[in-house]
Amino acid sequence: MPDKKALRIALVGRPNTGKSSLFNRLTGMNQKVGNYPGVTMERTTGLSKWAPGVLAEVVDLPGVYSLHASSSDEEVVMNALLQESPEERIDRVIGLADGTNLKTCLFVFSQVLDLGLPAVLAVTMRDEMERRGMELKVDELAQTLGCAVVLVNTRSGEGLEELREAVLQAKPSSKLPFFQPGGLHLRWLAQVQEDQGLELPYRAWLLGLKTAGDSAQETSGPAPKRARTDEAIQRYRQVNQWLRAYFIADPVKDRRWTARLDRIVVHPLWGSVVLFGLLFILFQALFYGSEAPMNFIDDQLALLSSWVTEQVPLGFLAHLISKGLIPGIAGVLMFIPQIALLFAFISLLEESGYMARVVFIMDRFMRPFGLSGKSVVPMVSGTACAIPAIMSTRNMENSRERFLAIAVTPLITCSARLPVYALLIGLVIPNQSFFGMNVRGVVLLALYALGFIAALAGSALLNRMMPAKKTPAFLLEMPPYRVPQWRNVITAVWNRTKSFVSEAGKIILAISVVLWFLASFGPDRSPDFSQERSPLPIEESYIGYAGKAIEPVMAPLGFDWKISVAVVSSFVAREVFVGTMATLYSVDDEDSTTIRAQMAREVNPKTGAPFFTLAVGVSLLLFYAFAMQCMSTFAVVARETQSYRFAIVQFIALGLLAYGVAWMAYVLLR
Amino acid sequence: MFLSDLPLGQKAIVLQTPDSLPVKLFEMGCMPGEEIELVFAAPFQDPMCFQVQGTLISMRRELAQLIPITDPNAR
Repeated sequence: MPDKKALRIALVGRPNTGKSSLFNRLTGMNQKVGNYPGVTMERTTGLSKWAPGVLAEVVDLPGVYSLHASSSDEEVVMNALLQESPEERIDRVIGLADGTNLKTCLFVFSQVLDLGLPAVLAVTMRDEMERRGMELKVDELAQTLGCAVVLVNTRSGEGLEELREAVLQAKPSSKLPFFQPGGLHLRWLAQVQEDQGLELPYRAWLLGLKTAGDSAQETSGPAPKRARTDEAIQRYRQVNQWLRAYFIADPVKDRRWTARLDRIVVHPLWGSVVLFGLLFILFQALFYGSEAPMNFIDDQLALLSSWVTEQVPLGFLAHLISKGLIPGIAGVLMFIPQIALLFAFISLLEESGYMARVVFIMDRFMRPFGLSGKSVVPMVSGTACAIPAIMSTRNMENSRERFLAIAVTPLITCSARLPVYALLIGLVIPNQSFFGMNVRGVVLLALYALGFIAALAGSALLNRMMPAKKTPAFLLEMPPYRVPQWRNVITAVWNRTKSFVSEAGKIILAISVVLWFLASFGPDRSPDFSQERSPLPIEESYIGYAGKAIEPVMAPLGFDWKISVAVVSSFVAREVFVGTMATLYSVDDEDSTTIRAQMAREVNPKTGAPFFTLAVGVSLLLFYAFAMQCMSTFAVVARETQSYRFAIVQFIALGLLAYGVAWMAYVLLR
Repeated sequence: MFLSDLPLGQKAIVLQTPDSLPVKLFEMGCMPGEEIELVFAAPFQDPMCFQVQGTLISMRRELAQLIPITDPNAR
């Protein structure tokens, strides 16, 4: 909730100007991550005390090249800055400029000043400027701009006090306007100003051109493109004058590192080697690096669970805690190691400037699917787990691409599918060799390939279906390479993990407890909580009944009631399928070979032949390959898109897809 | 001559560009009259990365094919 008493300060600037570093410096760990209303785009705010009695709410706006809206990023920034209502209004603006690339940064800042907001210009990369022999006449520039200009170093914290002071003192620039909007359309502009009740012409200009650009009809106003181009030309002319007067650069010392590194990093051959090497490290880290901490969490919770069983007398409460609550908590905490690892990795890539190169290298491959190179990260992390993978889409600026990536990531073969695949492959695929390869291995590999193909094809299909109203042109700035700042990496990891636990975690815990109730109670008998084993045989619980109820629906896929029950109960997580099958086949230990042997003995009552034929097995494998059988994925999607509708539609769509594919396989193989 | 024809490491001047191009291009600093250089390119020259006004801007070949340029010495 926006605090009305807090001074709302927005950070505005181009991408790669050190905006998030400054934001982290100004707010510390007190950050709140959320989405902008109506857009699946991240919004971070941070509250902190700046002076006695002055509470500051800093808003980190997306990086933009101009205030005119070309994409949803710019629209978000424009809408935020044009807010007039007292609750939503921005009180101060900190404009950011990369001191080593002032020209394009000052372009945006001059637009900000023309909005009449009290603003301060923070010039970052001070250390880099010194190293490269650049000098800025700060006082003279401040004179010309009519606002304070402060040099800051986000690494050391130099200049931050001065910046805070300047922000508190800031007033609208005294040198307005820097650009005279309207041109030949002054009457149109006056009309917009009057209609919207806007005092400053530049506000009306931004708003009017956006409206004119959105509507297809001819308006009396200027052609938005022409008008924006003219504005850009005029503003750059002015910025060039400022720089000629106040900026001194030594061209010899310029841009050496970046160019030299790029010779390797974007090289057609070496670039791919570097990229796949890094992705391989990511894959290894997610799979094996997270194993130890996950086992640790698992062990601790098992200890807690057995401690509870000792302390609390056996009964409803003990069951609720040890079988309902603790597994739910485990289901949340288990994801933390992977989430933390993935976000440390991503923020290192972003911080160093390498992520833009990944997008560059992969663009040609991902383009046909409506995705950019940024989707490579969720696609690869999805092989470990869809939860961190879906969360990683937050770093995508393009909300359309983010939507596509969230929609298809659950199709990628995650590690929770492995126990299910292992059981079923062992059951129905013969242990033979096929051209020197083990058939079981080939099938597993094929399932992995299927996951990727389904995800990419699904994305391409959705991309076709979604109306392309405004596809922003692919224009990407390659930031210079920089040494990552640990502060930013740690803050990113901390914030992502915190928001996962506090938001998606709540949903996961709730679903887990509800499912426990459904598995422990049934319509016929009252459950028996006096013993440690399950209070009701699963087939007599509500879940069991639900499974049996959907049996006729599942019959065309070759599933009997046992499989149907196991499918329903494995909405908790796919691997639960194995445990439920063990219970249903009265196998005490969850060792998959014992269950497999038991299942292999199952006879089809109609034919007298073994029940688990190749057709049933493949149908079930394909069902698990496509269906979104995972409550945590559901919770994270709902959280990330801020929409239960999205998550429900996705769950149903993937379920139907799974059903269709499994049915076809069953019919063909029967 | 168009931007997509520029050889690696070669410099040129951006000419007056057609209205159909995204305005964001200008706003990022790629404007008529500015010096532009092809710094690197992906396989099949797509996408391509140019340096203009001190910024590295990447774009797809289809866009670079629409931006007219001229030899800086020919002026």
